[in-house]
Amino acid sequence: MIGELTRRDLIKAHAAGIAAATAGIALPAAAQPVPGGVESLEIKWSKAPCRFCGTGCGVMVGVKEGQVVATHGDMQAEVNRGLNCIKGYFLSKIMYGEDRLKTPLLRKRNGKYAKDGEFEPVSWDEAFDVMAEQCKKVLKEKGPTAVGMFGSGQWTIFEGYAATKLMRAGFRSNNLDPNARHCMASAAYAFMRTFGMDEPMGCYDDFENADAFVLWGSNMAEMHPILWTRLADRRLGHQHVKVAVLSTFTHRSMDLADIPVIFTPGTDLAILNYIANHIITSGKVNEEFVKNHTTFMKGVTNIGYGLRPEDPLELKAANAANPANMEPTDFESFKKFVSDYTLKKVADLTGADPGFLQQLAELYADPNRKVMSLWTMGFNQHVRGVWANQMLYNLHLLTGKISEPGNSPFSLTGQPSACGTAREVGTFAHRLPADMTVTNPEHRHHAEEIWKLPEGLIPDKPGYHAVQQDRMLKDGKLSFYWVQVNNNVQAAPNTKNETYQGYRNPDNFIVVSDAYPTITAMSADLILPAAMWVEKEGAYGNAERRTHVWHQLVQAPGEARSDLWQLVEFSKRFTTDEVWPAEMLDKHPDYRGKTLFEVLFKNGQVDQFPLSEIDQSYPNNEAYAFGFYLQKGLFEEYASFGRGHGHDLAPYDRYHQERGLRWPVVNGQETKWRYREGYDPYVKAGEGVKFYGRPDGRAVILAVPYEPPAETPDDEYDFWLVTGRVLEHWHSGSMTMRVPELYKAFPGARCFMNADDARKRGFNQGMEVRIVSRRGEIRSRVETRGRNRMPPGVIFVPWFDASQLINKVTLDATDPISKQTDYKKCAVKILPVA
Amino acid sequence: MSEDANRHYISSAVIIVIPQAEERVVRDVAAMPGVEVHAIQDGKIVVVIEGTSSGQLGAVLSAISAIEGVVAANMVFEHSEKEEAMSDDRRIDAA
Repeated sequence: MIGELTRRDLIKAHAAGIAAATAGIALPAAAQPVPGGVESLEIKWSKAPCRFCGTGCGVMVGVKEGQVVATHGDMQAEVNRGLNCIKGYFLSKIMYGEDRLKTPLLRKRNGKYAKDGEFEPVSWDEAFDVMAEQCKKVLKEKGPTAVGMFGSGQWTIFEGYAATKLMRAGFRSNNLDPNARHCMASAAYAFMRTFGMDEPMGCYDDFENADAFVLWGSNMAEMHPILWTRLADRRLGHQHVKVAVLSTFTHRSMDLADIPVIFTPGTDLAILNYIANHIITSGKVNEEFVKNHTTFMKGVTNIGYGLRPEDPLELKAANAANPANMEPTDFESFKKFVSDYTLKKVADLTGADPGFLQQLAELYADPNRKVMSLWTMGFNQHVRGVWANQMLYNLHLLTGKISEPGNSPFSLTGQPSACGTAREVGTFAHRLPADMTVTNPEHRHHAEEIWKLPEGLIPDKPGYHAVQQDRMLKDGKLSFYWVQVNNNVQAAPNTKNETYQGYRNPDNFIVVSDAYPTITAMSADLILPAAMWVEKEGAYGNAERRTHVWHQLVQAPGEARSDLWQLVEFSKRFTTDEVWPAEMLDKHPDYRGKTLFEVLFKNGQVDQFPLSEIDQSYPNNEAYAFGFYLQKGLFEEYASFGRGHGHDLAPYDRYHQERGLRWPVVNGQETKWRYREGYDPYVKAGEGVKFYGRPDGRAVILAVPYEPPAETPDDEYDFWLVTGRVLEHWHSGSMTMRVPELYKAFPGARCFMNADDARKRGFNQGMEVRIVSRRGEIRSRVETRGRNRMPPGVIFVPWFDASQLINKVTLDATDPISKQTDYKKCAVKILPVA
Repeated sequence: MSEDANRHYISSAVIIVIPQAEERVVRDVAAMPGVEVHAIQDGKIVVVIEGTSSGQLGAVLSAISAIEGVVAANMVFEHSEKEEAMSDDRRIDAA
C-alpha cells in the first residue's frame, strides 16, 4: 500500500515513471507511474514535428490562452519515443524573442524607397506595391534570369511548392535554390547518380538492427542527439556492437567510439578507397550481389573547385566544364584502380592509425556484420562531396550491405524539411517535383500538364545555384531577390567579398522574409515579418522519408504572416501579360489578362477543397484569407507528381492523424526499406533487389581517386580551419541565441585549438586572437579545453555567432558536381590581437 | 514567453552514460540542486529536475550533457503548475 503522498511527489513519480518506460527500464515498485496521469486541464495539447534539425522528432505542443507554453517529446512518435533534446526542449521559447519582427520594414528616405535609406515600418500594401514595382522593373530591363529566390529546408512543403510554381511558371525563372544547397546537395546528387532516385533506402529502424555504426565526419552526439541516443542504446545494450567515428578532430561522439580515426582534412576519400581495396583483396566481395545489382563506372578527374571561372585553380582543371561525366568500366578495372590505396600509403597520407584503419575496413568486409554508415556535413561540405558519398555506396554495394534492416548507408540531414521540401518538392535550381529536372523536356511537359499551364512555359536552363546567386548579385546579373526562411549573409562562404556586396549592390532590390532581424534581414531593402512553425499549418519531410503534418496552433504576433501567405498574396500583383511572352499568350489566349494567382493557385485544382474540410478546432489563416483549403490543395496537386512513380504520398487528411508516414505510401502502407522484395511494393516477386530508379535496375559503383582540397595550409597560412555547430545552437543561431538559457550555456563562438599549438604561439586559454585568411578575418577567443580536442594544425570555429562571422574567412570553393560549399577546409593564420 | 514566477516546473530526463562512468555521473548529478535520481539501470539514469522556470530546468539539462562520461541526456516529461496547487499542505490520498 502506498501511503499519503503530496501532489508534488505524485507528479514527480509520474514524470519518473514515464521516463523509465521510455528508457525501457524498471522502477522500484513504490515509484510506478500513476494510472491516468496528472492532467493539466487548461492546456490544449497537439502534435507537431520539431522545428529544428532533420531528425524529425514528434513533439506535443501545449497551448494556453493563445500562447505555446510547453512542449514535450511525443510518446507516440516512433522517431524519438517521448524524448526531447535540449534544443527541442526550448521549442516553446523560439517564437517569443523580444525582437520578433511584427511589421514590414522598408528602407526609405523622404517618404520614398531608397537603397541607402533607413528602415521604416510600412503596411503590407505599401511593401508589396514597392516590391512588385521593383520586380517588374527588373523583369523589363534584364529579363526573367535577373529575378531570383533563395529558400530553405525550413520551408513547409506547401511553401516550397508555391515558391517553385511562382518562380518557374509565374516569373519563368529557375533562379530558385534552397540553402539546403549548402547542406546536402552532394548527398542528393550522389543518390541520383548512384540509384537514379533521391533519399535513403533505409530508415531509423536500422539503428536497432545494425551490428556496427560508422560515423563519417558526423558528430551526432551534438548535432543529432536523439538519433545518437538510439545508437548509444544499441551499442551499450549489445556487447558485439561496434562504433567507429571518423573525424578531423576529437569530439563528443568519440566518447563511444571503439574505433576512433582522426585524419587530415580531405583524406577521407583515400580511406574509402582503401576499404574498397581491403574488401576485394580479402575476398569479401558479395559476388552474387555485385553481378546482379550493380554496374561499374569511372568518373572524370581533375574537376576543379567550383570557384569563379577566372580563378587559377579553375584554369588548371582539365574537366572543370564537365565534372559530372562518367564512363562505363568493369570490376577488374575497378579492382586495379583501388589497388593503389594500400594500408601503408593511406595511413601515411591521412595520418590515421593503421590498426584502426584495418579494424574499420573489417567492419565493412565481415559478411556477418550489419553496418549502418552515417554522415552529414563532413561528407557533403566537401569539394569532392559527391565522390565521397558515392565512394561510401561503393562499400555497401560491393558487400551487398544495403536495403535491409541494419545494413544501411544513411545520409542524415540538417534541416527539418531538407528532404520533404528542398529535395522532394524540387526547389533546387535544376529540379522539379518527384526527382524530375528542368533540363528534361518530358519532365517540363509533365509539370506543365499537371499545373494546367501552356507548353513551353518552364525555362529549360538550370538557374543559379546558391553560391552563384551571390556572385551574380555582386555582378548585377541577378537584381530582384527574395530570401525566405534562411540567414545567408551569415551562412554563405566568403561573405565579405561576395554575398554582402551583392545585397548592397545599388542595382539590386533585396527582400528578406524572417521572424527575427538577422544580419541577412538587416542587409536587405525590404523586410517582411514571417509567421513561424505552429503559427501556420505545415508539413515537413525528415531524413527517413517521413512526411509529417501539423495544424496551426497559435497566431503570429503583430502583422507577421506566413511565407505561404506572402508568396500567394504577392502573385496577385502580376498578370500573365506582364510576365509571359506575347507569342505564348497569342497561342493560348485563355490565359490572357489573368493574374498569377488565378493561373497558379485558383486553377481549379489547388482551390478545389472548401473551407468546410478544415478541422474547425484549429485556426488556418491562409485558408480563410484565400477562401479555400490552400494547404490541402497544394499538397494534393503536388502529390500527383509522385503517385505511381515511387514517391507515393497518402491522402492529405491522413497525415493529420499520423505521426508521419514514410513514402512511398502504397495501399495505405508506408515503406521502411526500398529496393528490396518483401519491403518495397515497387519490387516485384522474384526480383529480390531492384534499384528501379535506374533504367537497368542496377546501382553504380564509381571509380574516382583522392584529390586534394582547394586550399591547403602553407608556411604563412599554417592552420586548417574547420567550421560547424555545437549542441546548444541550431545553425546560424537566429532562434536558439534568443533563448536566454541556450545563450547562457554557449554565449559566443570560440576558436578550438590544440593546446601545444597555442602554447608555442604564446596564446593562453580565453585569449582573444585574430583568425585571418586570404579572404577576411574575425576575432575569437582561444579554447584549448572543452568538448572539442584539436590535433596540431587544425582549428574549429562554430558559425552560430553573428558577432563572430567566420564566413568572412571561409573560401567559396564548392563541389563542382553538386555546387555545395566546402566549409570544412581552408587555410588560416592565427595572430595575437595587437 | 512570459513565465509566471509562481509556477513550479517538474521534468524527467533520461541520461545515458558510458558504463565505467556510471557511478561518478550518478554522484555528480545527484549533487546538483533540484535534481533527484529515481532509477539506475544498465548505464541509464532516470532523474527528475525541479525548478521555478523551464529555463532553469533546461540549463540543468545542458549542464548534465556536459558532464564527462555522459553520452546523451534528453528530457521526457514536463509538468508545471501554480505553486499553491502543489504546496505540501494540500495532501491527496493516492492509496
